[in-house]
Amino acid sequence: MRVLVTPRVRMVQSDGHPMLEMLGMKFDAGALHSLVHRERVHRSLYLDPEMFDLEMERIFGSTWIYVGHDSLVPKAGDYITARAGKQPLVMSRHTDGQVYVIFNSCGHRGAVVCNEDKGNAALFRCCYHGWTFKTNGDLDAIAMRRGYGESFDVSNPALGMRRAPHVVNYRGFVFASLAGNVPSLEEHLGPAKDSIDELVDRAPDGEIDLGGGVHKYVFRGNWKLQLENSVDMYHVPFSHESSVSRSGRQFSRGEGQKGGSAISDRGGAAQRWEQRVAWGARSNGHGYAGHQPVAEEMPDTPTFRAYVAALEARHGKERTQEILRPKRHNTAFYPNMTLQALNQHVRVIVPIAVDRTEVHVYPIRFKGAPKDMNDGFVRHLNLTHSAASLIQTDDLECFRRCQEGLSAQNSDWVWFARGVDTDKEDEHGDYVNHGTVETQQRAQYAAWLHLMSAGE
Amino acid sequence: MPLQNPQSVANALGDRRDIEDFLIQEAALLDERQFEEWRDLFADDGRYWVPLRPGQESPDAECSLFYDDRAIMQTRFERLRHPNIHSQNPAHRTCHVIGNVVVDEIDGGRGEVLVKSNMIMTDYRIHVQRVFSGRVTHRLRRTGNGYRIVFKRVDLINCDDALELIAVPF
Repeated sequence: MRVLVTPRVRMVQSDGHPMLEMLGMKFDAGALHSLVHRERVHRSLYLDPEMFDLEMERIFGSTWIYVGHDSLVPKAGDYITARAGKQPLVMSRHTDGQVYVIFNSCGHRGAVVCNEDKGNAALFRCCYHGWTFKTNGDLDAIAMRRGYGESFDVSNPALGMRRAPHVVNYRGFVFASLAGNVPSLEEHLGPAKDSIDELVDRAPDGEIDLGGGVHKYVFRGNWKLQLENSVDMYHVPFSHESSVSRSGRQFSRGEGQKGGSAISDRGGAAQRWEQRVAWGARSNGHGYAGHQPVAEEMPDTPTFRAYVAALEARHGKERTQEILRPKRHNTAFYPNMTLQALNQHVRVIVPIAVDRTEVHVYPIRFKGAPKDMNDGFVRHLNLTHSAASLIQTDDLECFRRCQEGLSAQNSDWVWFARGVDTDKEDEHGDYVNHGTVETQQRAQYAAWLHLMSAGE
Repeated sequence: MPLQNPQSVANALGDRRDIEDFLIQEAALLDERQFEEWRDLFADDGRYWVPLRPGQESPDAECSLFYDDRAIMQTRFERLRHPNIHSQNPAHRTCHVIGNVVVDEIDGGRGEVLVKSNMIMTDYRIHVQRVFSGRVTHRLRRTGNGYRIVFKRVDLINCDDALELIAVPF
C-alpha cells in the first residue's frame, strides 16, 4: 500500500509580498490573510499537517459543531461516540431525559471510556482502574476509594468525564461548542436554521428519525473537499456524467418518480439549474443551494397520498402545500454537517488527518409517515450515498484526485471565482447569488479565515 | 427429465460439488467484469444484499452497502460501462476466492437450496490493494437451465467500517 506523504510546502511569491516559508512558521493573522483571498485560497490549506492541527483547534475546537441527532439515543443510557476535531466525545441520554455531550476520556488516567460506536449503559466504566461515571459524565465512584485518603477531593469536576461547555438540542439536532465564548446557536445558524425546520416540518409527527443505520465512507483527501462539494452545483454534469442515461436524466431517486434529475451543461436543463438560489454566510460559513428541478415532481402513489393526508391532518391543506414546496437542495452547516432534502440524509464530516476524511451518512425517516415511504428513503440512499453507490463514488474519486493533484507546482491556488462579480449581499452581509456559482465556497473560506485568525 | 422420487430430487438439488462449481463460476463472472452475465444468474425476483451492520435483520429498516434487484443491477452496470465513469478509469481489478461451501438446507418442494460459504475478494486500483472477506448465504433455485440466485447475502467482517469507494460486487 502506498503511503501518501504530504509534500513540504514550497516557497510562494504571493501578490508581491515576501516569500512565505510555511513549515515551522507561526500562523499569525497576517500570514493567514495572505493565504485566503475572496476568489482563491492557497493550496497549503489542503496539504500542510500543521495547518490541519490548527484547524482542529481553532475551528472544530471553538465554533458550534454538529455532534449527533437525539433520535440516535432514544432511551436513558443510550449513547453514541463522536469527535470534535481530534477530541473524542460521547453523546448520551441521561436518566433525566436530557441529551448530554461529554468528553470520552476518564478523569483519572485519560483512557477512552466508551469504546463502541453506540450502546446502552447504566454507568460508564473505565477499563483501566474501574472508575465509573454517570451517563451525564459526573464521577460516580472511584474503585478502592480508601486508598486515596481523605485529602483527595472527589467533587473536583475534572475527575469526571467533563461536559462540553455549550450544548443545544435544536429539533433533535445536537450541537456543541468546546469554547468558552460563542454566540447563541440560533444566532450562529441564522437562515441555515430554516433548512432544519423545512425538513423536520415534512414529518407528519413533527420529528425525524435518524435510526435507520449509517453509511460510512473514507477518502484520501482533506475534509474541506467534502464540505465544498456538498454545495457545489457546478460539478454535477461533469463529475456525475456516468450517472446520466441517454435520455439526459439520472435514475429515479424515489418510488413513483418517472426519472431522476435532468442534467446537462447546456440547453434547458442547464438553464433551469442556473435559476436556483445560492446563499453563503460570510460570517460563519453556512451555505445552501436551491432545490433541484426534479424535486418539484411529486409522486402519484397511494403511499404518497397517504403521507400528504397525514400532513394535512396536522397542518391543513394550505400549510401542507407550503411544507411540500421544494426550497433547498443541500445545506452545509459549517464546518461538519450537511443536510440534503432530495436524497434525504444528514452527513457528518469527520476529519482524520490532513489527507484523510471519514464521512457518515444517515438516512432521514419521517415520524408519522407511511412505513413504505420511510423504507423507500432508506433503500434509495443506498443507491446514491453508500461507499458502493452510483453518485457518491464519483465525488470520492474527484476528492482523491484533488488531493494528489494539489501537490503539483503549477499553481499556488485553488480558485472559487465563479460568480464573484455577481455576488450580492443580503441584509446580514451574507452572499446571495444564483445558479452554479462558487458563492457558498467563498463564504466557507471567509469563515475559515475569521475563525483561524480569531477575528483579527 | 422429471425426477422419480423425493430423495433423488434432494440429491440432485443439493449436490455440493455442483453448487461449489456454480459459486466459483459466479465469482469468475465478476472478476472477468461480465456483469450482465452475472446479473442474469439472478432469478427475476432475485436480490443481492450486503448489509452495513453485523446481524442486520432488514434491508428496509436500515441502509445497506448494496441492496439490488435486477433493475438496480441494470442501472449499476450501465454506469460501470459508461466511457466517462471516472472512478473506473482505471478500473478495479478483483480476485475472488470461494471456500468452505456447505449446503445448509434443501427444500425439495420449492426446488431451492440454502448454501453457506466463505468469500475473500481482493481488489486493486492505482497502487492500493484491499482485502474483503465475509460469510455468504445463497438461496439457489434449480431450473431447467441450472441454478438461479433467488437471494445472495454477503456479510463482510468489516461491514460497519468506513470504506473507500467500491465498484465491483462481492
